Amino acid sequence: MLMAVLAGASCSKKLDIYPHSAAASENLSTKDVELFLTGVYNKVQNAPGRESYIMFDLIGGNLITARGTGGPIQLINSIMRPEQSMISASWNGYYNALYQVNILLSAATNMEESARKNEILGIAHFFRGYIYYNLVTRWGGVPVLEKNTVDNVARSTEAATWQFVESELQQAIELAPDYSDYYYVSKDAARALMARTKLAMGKKTEAAALAEQIITSNRFKLDAFEKIFRNQQNTEEIFAFKNLTAESSIAISTLFYTYAHPVKGSYAYAPAPDVMQMYENDDKRKAMSIDVYGSDNVINKYPSGQSGTDPIIITRLAEMYLISAEAKGLSGLSRLNELRAARGLTAVNPVNEADYLDAVLLERRRELLAEGFRWYDLVRLQKAVSVLGIREALQKLPIPESELVLNDLLEPNSGY
Amino acid sequence: MYKIYTMIHYCLNRRRSKPLAIRCIMLLITITLLLQAGANVIAQGITFSKKDATAEMIFDEIARQTGYRVLCQAAIMHSAGTHDVNFKQASVEEVLKTFFPDQQFSFVIKDKTIVIQKKAAPVKTAPVVYEEQTTIHVSGQVVTEAGNPVPGVSVSVKNTNRATTTDVEGRFSFSDIDEHAVLIISHVSYITRTVPVSPQPMTIVLTENQRGLGEVVVVGYGTQKRSDVSSAISTFKPNERNARPVLAPDQLIQGKMAGVMVASGSGNLGGANRVSIRGIGSLSASNEPLYVIDGVPVRPHNAAIFNFGENMNPLAELNPNDIESIDVLKDAASAAIYGSRATNGVILITTKSGKKGKSKLNVDLFSGMQQVPNLHKLKMADSKLYVDVINEAIDNYNLQYGYSPGTGNFIPYIQNPYPGLPDTDWLDLVLQKGRTVSANVSLSGGTDRSTYYISSSFLDQEGAVKTNRLKKYTGKINLTQQVFSWFKVGAATNMSYSRNNRVPGSNLGSTVLARGLEQRPFDRPYKPDGSYYVGGTSELLRNNSVQILNEQKTYLDNYRFLGNFFAEIDLAKGLSFKSSLGTDLIYTHDYVYYNEDHPYGTGKGRLIDNSRLNTNLIVENTLNYNKRFNELNLGALAGYSFQKMGTTTKLVDGSGFPSSSFDVNSVAATITDASTGLSENAMESYFSRVTLNYAGKYLLAVSMRADGSSRFSKQRRYGYFPSVSAGWELSKEQFWQAATTDLKLRVSYGKTGNQEGIGNYAYQALAGGGYNYNNKSGLAITGFGNDELTWESANQFNAGLDLGLFKGRINITADYFIKNTTNLLYEKPTAATTGFTSLTTNIGSMRNRGLELAVSTNYDLGQLSWSSSFNISFIRNKLTSLLGNEDLLIGANRVLRVGSEVGSFYIYKQVGIFQSDDEVPQPLYDAGIRAGDVKYEDLDNNGTIDINDRQIVGTSNPDFFGGWDNFFGYKNFDLNISVTYSSGAEIYAPWRINVSRLGGTYFPFLESEALNRWTGPGTSNTVPRAISGNTYNTYNSTRYLEDGSYIRLRNISLGYNFPKKLLYRLRLERLRIYAQADNLLLLTNYSGIDPEVNDNLDPKYLGDDNLVMPQLRTFNIGINLTF
Repeated sequence: MLMAVLAGASCSKKLDIYPHSAAASENLSTKDVELFLTGVYNKVQNAPGRESYIMFDLIGGNLITARGTGGPIQLINSIMRPEQSMISASWNGYYNALYQVNILLSAATNMEESARKNEILGIAHFFRGYIYYNLVTRWGGVPVLEKNTVDNVARSTEAATWQFVESELQQAIELAPDYSDYYYVSKDAARALMARTKLAMGKKTEAAALAEQIITSNRFKLDAFEKIFRNQQNTEEIFAFKNLTAESSIAISTLFYTYAHPVKGSYAYAPAPDVMQMYENDDKRKAMSIDVYGSDNVINKYPSGQSGTDPIIITRLAEMYLISAEAKGLSGLSRLNELRAARGLTAVNPVNEADYLDAVLLERRRELLAEGFRWYDLVRLQKAVSVLGIREALQKLPIPESELVLNDLLEPNSGY
Repeated sequence: MYKIYTMIHYCLNRRRSKPLAIRCIMLLITITLLLQAGANVIAQGITFSKKDATAEMIFDEIARQTGYRVLCQAAIMHSAGTHDVNFKQASVEEVLKTFFPDQQFSFVIKDKTIVIQKKAAPVKTAPVVYEEQTTIHVSGQVVTEAGNPVPGVSVSVKNTNRATTTDVEGRFSFSDIDEHAVLIISHVSYITRTVPVSPQPMTIVLTENQRGLGEVVVVGYGTQKRSDVSSAISTFKPNERNARPVLAPDQLIQGKMAGVMVASGSGNLGGANRVSIRGIGSLSASNEPLYVIDGVPVRPHNAAIFNFGENMNPLAELNPNDIESIDVLKDAASAAIYGSRATNGVILITTKSGKKGKSKLNVDLFSGMQQVPNLHKLKMADSKLYVDVINEAIDNYNLQYGYSPGTGNFIPYIQNPYPGLPDTDWLDLVLQKGRTVSANVSLSGGTDRSTYYISSSFLDQEGAVKTNRLKKYTGKINLTQQVFSWFKVGAATNMSYSRNNRVPGSNLGSTVLARGLEQRPFDRPYKPDGSYYVGGTSELLRNNSVQILNEQKTYLDNYRFLGNFFAEIDLAKGLSFKSSLGTDLIYTHDYVYYNEDHPYGTGKGRLIDNSRLNTNLIVENTLNYNKRFNELNLGALAGYSFQKMGTTTKLVDGSGFPSSSFDVNSVAATITDASTGLSENAMESYFSRVTLNYAGKYLLAVSMRADGSSRFSKQRRYGYFPSVSAGWELSKEQFWQAATTDLKLRVSYGKTGNQEGIGNYAYQALAGGGYNYNNKSGLAITGFGNDELTWESANQFNAGLDLGLFKGRINITADYFIKNTTNLLYEKPTAATTGFTSLTTNIGSMRNRGLELAVSTNYDLGQLSWSSSFNISFIRNKLTSLLGNEDLLIGANRVLRVGSEVGSFYIYKQVGIFQSDDEVPQPLYDAGIRAGDVKYEDLDNNGTIDINDRQIVGTSNPDFFGGWDNFFGYKNFDLNISVTYSSGAEIYAPWRINVSRLGGTYFPFLESEALNRWTGPGTSNTVPRAISGNTYNTYNSTRYLEDGSYIRLRNISLGYNFPKKLLYRLRLERLRIYAQADNLLLLTNYSGIDPEVNDNLDPKYLGDDNLVMPQLRTFNIGINLTF
C-alpha cells in the first residue's frame, strides 16, 4: 500500500529531460533560419576537416612528409588508399556539410517572400555548388542529393555532377547578396567559383569572361602577401572563411611549423625540395610562402602556430588573373605579366601555347601554394601522371572503403 | 557461559602517555562512549537486609528490585561465601562489593545484565603457579585473519566434555585443565583447528571456510546467508594478508574471482582499469559493471577531463582499507534487482562498520618504492648499427629507383653528428624509482545501540616517470544508532581529496615511454648552450621527454563526497520500512599548463583549465518482510528508487602568459576557448524480491525490477527485468550418505539491461548550439533522433554447484552460464551521404557462454596451516546478429562480424618475405615492392594487396584466465602468494611499427629487428629489408600480432605477528610487520614489457599496446598495529 502511495507520488515527468545546449530539431521555426545560416557557415568551414583544404598540395607534389625519408610520391601513395582516414574524413565532412545546407534550403524555401529569403537561398546554393565542386574534383561523379535522404544513392555521372555545380552557382550568382565583406558569400564569390568551374569544364570563354568581370569590377585589387597571409584587411580576397579559433577545428598551421619554430607546430608536412627552389629571388611571395627554420623547411602561409587558426581563403583576385590568363591562351599573357609585376617579377614572353601553359601553371603553383590547387590543376590538364609519376588510377581519389561497405550502389573508382 | 565486558580504553588512557594525535582520537572515542554510558547507570537503590545472605540471594534481590540480571561463574559465586547485610538505598555496586571485593573482581553492566568478572591475576605470580601445577588456566582470543574477533566459536577440550563458546570479543577461558590438553576450535564459517594449550594468553587465527555457509553475502538491497543464496555471487573480503596496497578497489579483486577479469590500463598513477564480468557484455564503449558503493550506484566515468593520453580511474578516489567486502553479482538472478544497469554485472562495495564490543584503534603504515620492470626487453640499436642500417636503406632506395646524386629524389647518407660521444639513454633520463608512503588509521566499536567506524588515510606516491605523483587523503565516518527499539538511523560517508600530477599517457603525442624509445641513439636532450633540442625537427625526431616533463605543470584534483543516510522503522514483527538518501558528489579540477618552453606551449604559454561537477542523488524506499512458518522461511522486499545524475563542465583555454610564473587564465593574453556544459539524466525504478527457504534444503528466489530512463522516448521509456533462481541442498536430504561431503545445486534465469554508452539525449533529434561563425551564434543539426531506441537486454541462464569435500577441506564452486544479449546499443555506421556517419541504434545480438571454476583448499598441518584458492574461467563470445549482417569495420585493425568474437583482429596476414624479385606479383612490383619486402597473404589472388585481403587472425579475448592464491601460516608468520594468469589472448603492438621500420622513416629501431633483417635470399623470412620511404612493410598485419599469454606473480607478502606476551608489555593488542612485493615475476612470450596492457579500455579494442606505461614492480614494508 505504501508502495502504491510512493508510486503515485512519483511522476514520470521527472524523466522528461531535455538538453540545455540544443533544441529538438522539429521545433525549428523560420526565425531560426538566420541562426541556421550562421551554423551552415560554421559547418561548411569545419566539417570537411583541415586536410581537405590542403589535399591537392598533399597529393600534388607540393608537400612531403616532414622528417620522412620519402619524396612526394611516397606521401601520395600513402594517402591514396580507400581505407585512408584523410580520404573518408573529407568525404564524410562534405556530405555532413551538405546535410546542413539542404536543411537550410528547405527551411528558407518555407520563408515568406522577401529580399532576405532570396539572399539566403543564394548563399545556400553557393555552398552546395562549392561542396559539389570539391566532391567532383576529387572523386568524379558522386551521389547528387538535392534533398537529404537516408536511402542509399548511386553515383551520378561526372558530367551530371559538373552540371549540378554549374546550376547551383548560377542560382547563387543570381540570388546571393552583393559583395560587402570577404568573410561572407556574395555574388562575386559565386562568379569567382563559377569561373574556376567553367575552366575545369573546358568552357574557357565563359571562364575568362567571369574572371574579367571580377578583375574589372574594381571591387578588388591585387594586394601584398604580407596582408593576405598575415590576417590583415586587404583588397584581394573575394571569399574566405574567417575560421576563428573558438569556432573552428581547422588548424592548418600546426601541420607546417616545427616545435622549435617560435609559433610552434607538430610539423607533419614540409615543402617538397623543388618547391624550395621554385621562387625567383625577387619574388615578393617567397618569404610569405616558404621559410627555413633551423635546418627544416616550412610552409609559411598559415602563421598562427600550434593552437591558433588562420582565415582560409576560398578564392582571391590573383586566381582570377590566372584563370583569365589560362583561359585566353597566349592572348592572356598580359594578365599573367600583370600578376607577375605585382609580385615583383619581370615579364615573361613564352613563344608557343605549350610553353605559355607551363608558364601559367608554374605561376599558379607559386601563387597558390598550400591553398589546395596543385593536384587538380595537373589532373584537369592531363599532366598528373607524367609530372607526379603516379599511376593512372590516382587521377581520382578512391571512394572511401567505409562508404563502399555501407552503400551497395556505390561503384569504386577504377584501379582501387 | 560467561561474559566479559571491559572498557579497556579508560585503562589505556590512564596507564600511558600517548602522542597527542592518539590522545585526541582517544578523547573522541571516550566522548562517544560517555554519551552512551548514560544507559548504563542503574537509577534505583537496593534495600535489603538479611543474615547469612549468599551471593545467589543478593542476585535475586537485585533482579527483583532493578530488573537487572547478574551473570557470574558458579565457582565465583560459591567463593563469595555468606555475609550479614543491611542495605538501604545502596547502589548495586556497593551491594556487590560486599560479596566481591573490588580488588579481585570487576563489574560491568551491559544489556541489563551485570557481569562479574575475576580480575586477571597479576602477571607477577602467574609463572610460578604454572610451573608447579599440572593443571593450568587457559585463556585466549579467536580472531579472523584480519584480526577481527570471532564470537560464537565453539572451543572444546579434546577427549573431555569441557566446552565453551567465545564471547563477543572472541575470548574464551578454561581453568584447571591439563597442561598437555588440546583445544578444538570450530565454527561453521571457518576451518576447524586443533591447538595445544599454552599458559600464555592464546591467539587463535581462524581461516574462513571458503564455502562459508555462515558467511553473510551482500545482495542487492540487503544481505543473505551464503547458504541461502541460489544465484552466482562471488565475495572478496580484503584483509591485510590477502590484499595488496592498491589505489582502487577494483584492483583488489584482480585474479580473485572466477568470471571476473580485471585488465590493467596503464602503470601511471591512477590509470583506469577494465573490469569485465563474464566477458564482453555490450558493444557500446561503456562496458563497465555497475558499482554500488554503500548503497549508492555510482556513475562510470573518466576521473579526468582533459585527454592527457589515458583515462583515470574514479574508484582510485576511495580508500581500499575501508572496504569490508566486495560482492560481485554475476548472474542475472542476482543482478536483475539492479535492472537496466546490471548487464555487465554489479559490484557491491560495502565499507566497514563498527562492531559491538571493545573499541579498537587500528594503524597501518607502509612505505616502499616502485619502478618499471623488464626494461631490458626494449633494446634499441646503438648509433653504429643505426647509421649502418639507415644507410643501407638509403642505398637500397637510390639503387632501386636509379636516383643519383644531384637528382631531386636522391637521398644522401646520414652520419652520427656527435661521433665519439656516448649514446643517450633517454629512458634513464625520465624514469625513476618512485617512493610511496601510506598511513591509515581507523577507530571502531559500538554498543548494543550504536556502532561507529571512523577512519582516515593518507597516501603519497611517486610514479615511475619523473614528476608523476599522487597524494590522496580520505576520511570516513560510518555510524548507526538504535534511537528507539523500533527506530534506527545511520550514515555511511566517504570523503576524499586527491591530487594527481599526471604525466602524458600513451595516447598523447608527448607520451614519455614511446617518445623516449623513438629517439635516435645519438640524439641528446640539451644543446651545448644548455637549451633544449626541440623534438619534431631534424635535430631531434621526437618530443624531448626531458623538456616535456620539465616545462609542464599538471594536476588533477578530485574532491569527492559519497554518502548514504538511512532511517529504518520496524512497523510490525518482521516488517520494516527503510528510507535512504544517497549522494555522490565529485568536483574535478583538471589543470594542464604548458609554459612557453614546452613544445605544446604555443611559444607564449598555454593553460587548459577544466573543471567539472558531477552530481548524483538517489532516494530509495524499501519495505522488508521476514516471516517463518514452521519449516518455511519467507523474505520479501519491495522498493522504489529515483536517481538523478548531472554534470556541469567549464573549460577555459588560454594562451599568452607574461612568464611561466603566471599560471591562471585571468592573465592570459588570448582566451582561445571558453565553454561550459550542462547535462543530466534520471531514472525511476520499482523493484521487488521474494525469497523462500524450506527446511534449509529448498531455495527459491524471484525478483522483478522496472526501470524508467530519461534516455529513451516516452513510448520506450520503461524496461522490465525479472529473474528467478532455485537451489537444492542435496546433502541435507535423508538419502545423502556421504557425511563428509556437502553438495548444493543452483539454477537461475533472468533478464538484465543496459543503457550506458549512449548519450543522455540520444533519442532526440537535436539542433545544437555553438555552431558559430564570425562571433555570431549559430545552430546545426547534431544527429538523427531515434524514437525507436530501446533497452539493450540480456537473458542469462546459470547453473552451478557448490561441493564441499572432506569436511570442507576442499570446496569447489562451478558455474556454467549462457548469456544472450539482444538489442545491442551501438553507434551504427551509416553512409555519410545521409549526412551523418553514425546513428545510435539497437544493432544486433551476441552470446557469451562460460564455465567458471573455483577450488579452495584448507589444510591444518599442526603448526603449519595452508589454504589456497584457485579459479579459472573459460568464456566464449560470439556476435549472433548485426543489422544487415554486414561486417562493420571498426578502428584500424578490428571488425564486427556475425559468428566471430567482439575484439577480433582484422588485418593482413604475413606469410613470409619475398626472397627474390621473381616471386613479387607484377602489380606489387609496379608499386615498388621487391625481394626482401613482406609477403602478405593474397586472399583474392589478384596479385595485389588491398583491403579485401584482410582477415580475422585472432582476438584480444583470452581462452582462459584466473588466479591462484596461497596462504601459509606458521607460528607467528604468515605468507601469501598470489598468481594471476591468462592464456590465448592476442596483443597487437603498434609501438613496434614505429621501431621496426628499418629506414621507412629515420626512426630508430629495435636491435633485434636490425640484426634479423633480410639482406639477401634466405637471410630472413620474418623481418623485411631496410628500405627508405617504404610504408608497405608496416601495414597492420600479423607481423605485429603476438601471443599475450602470461603468468604473473601478482603479489607475495610475508608477515610476522609479535607474540602476545610482548604485546601485553607494549600495551598493544596486535603488532604485525610485513614485507610485500607486487609484480615480482612475469612469464610471457610477448616481446613488449607487459602483455596486460591496454591503450583503449573499450572491449572492442582491448589488447592494443602503444607502449602503455606497464604495470610497475613495487616493494613495500609495513606495520599493522591494533590498540
